Amino acid sequence: MTTGDADSARARLAVAQAELLRALLAGGAPPAGFDRGRLAVETDVLLNRRRRQVGGCVGDLRDALGDELFRALFDAYAAEMPPTTDTGTHADAERFRAWVGEHPGGDEPPRPKPRWWRRRPVSP
Amino acid sequence: MAAAGAVADQLVSGVGIGWRAEIDLLVERLPGVDFVEVVAESVPRGPLPESLTILRERGLPVLPHAVSLSLGGADPLDTDRVRRLAELAAAVDAPLVSDHVCFVRAGGLDSGHLLPVPRTRDALDVLVANVGQAQRILGVPLALENIAALIEWPNAELTEGEFLGELVERTDCRLLVDVANLWANARNAGRDPADLLDELPLTALAYVHVAGGVEHDGVYHDTHAHPVPAGVFELLAELCRRTVPPAVLLERDDRFPSAEALGGELDTIRAIVAGHRAPA
Repeated sequence: MTTGDADSARARLAVAQAELLRALLAGGAPPAGFDRGRLAVETDVLLNRRRRQVGGCVGDLRDALGDELFRALFDAYAAEMPPTTDTGTHADAERFRAWVGEHPGGDEPPRPKPRWWRRRPVSP
Repeated sequence: MAAAGAVADQLVSGVGIGWRAEIDLLVERLPGVDFVEVVAESVPRGPLPESLTILRERGLPVLPHAVSLSLGGADPLDTDRVRRLAELAAAVDAPLVSDHVCFVRAGGLDSGHLLPVPRTRDALDVLVANVGQAQRILGVPLALENIAALIEWPNAELTEGEFLGELVERTDCRLLVDVANLWANARNAGRDPADLLDELPLTALAYVHVAGGVEHDGVYHDTHAHPVPAGVFELLAELCRRTVPPAVLLERDDRFPSAEALGGELDTIRAIVAGHRAPA
């Protein structure tokens, strides 16, 4: 296999993988040949996973909102802000927190409940 | 490269469990654990978690298991991630490391999870190139795991057995066979999971994963958060009939049960493997 062949294999695969991820994460059209029902299941699995991970990072916000409102707001946020390669879970969580500040989804912006304890900062 | 048909070196042996920070004390106290595996990305940089240090001091092998290298991805390999894995492998003196036959990122998006690659020549060539590049950085043997996939790419040019067989042959990587993933895929596709065992390049087998899951709306989800179904244990026994695996590891990532429940699943694994081992 020459370098040129390898480059074109990689380029073709890149197009196909990007199309699949756009469909799963960013509301893109389902790629041809895939089972649409299963794509929908996979989309839900990935969204649930992301919501759980972000929820773990912003436990104060999740508690303040309550599970139902947290879920509704997170899903609205996720539909606008797909998970990008330059955003880890912590940055995603902080981006969500800022987004909630702009989209409170109620009459009053949610305010975290005071807690008597603090988590120890996680060492890098 | 090992001669065709020759069984590769044994890198780890016995029965192990996935070490997770939430169950660190439980894992330390479980009797008869021969090794642990740790999700590489969950280990903070800096000093090792105390529990892992304790296990290492007892002489237990610790195997870093990565989930984010995206070795099947068309994006250029993220060599920083590979280097971090190599550093962790060195820190725990690991006999091998592992990741998955999958892709995670593409087109600027990060799925945060393991997604299948198409079984095409293009995808195989890319995977082989990425694995080779990773192996040159790692400095320890790399085992690759078959994933559980809810979706299937159209227009496959190779069977799963052919795809993995050629991957092993071209990269000399080892195989981490997850029987729960095989069982989940077969169940969701209406196939017999035992058929795939006959196709796999089992001479490259490094170890085996066992895990639980749950069914929702007719689709089985490999959650690692539920008990191991009987069918997965049966598939482990089916594998043992073909070759007794060097080592088997139980994965549990969430909804952690009691030590007794986890110990019971480990006992079931031990009984299955012992039942197929030739008498000494």
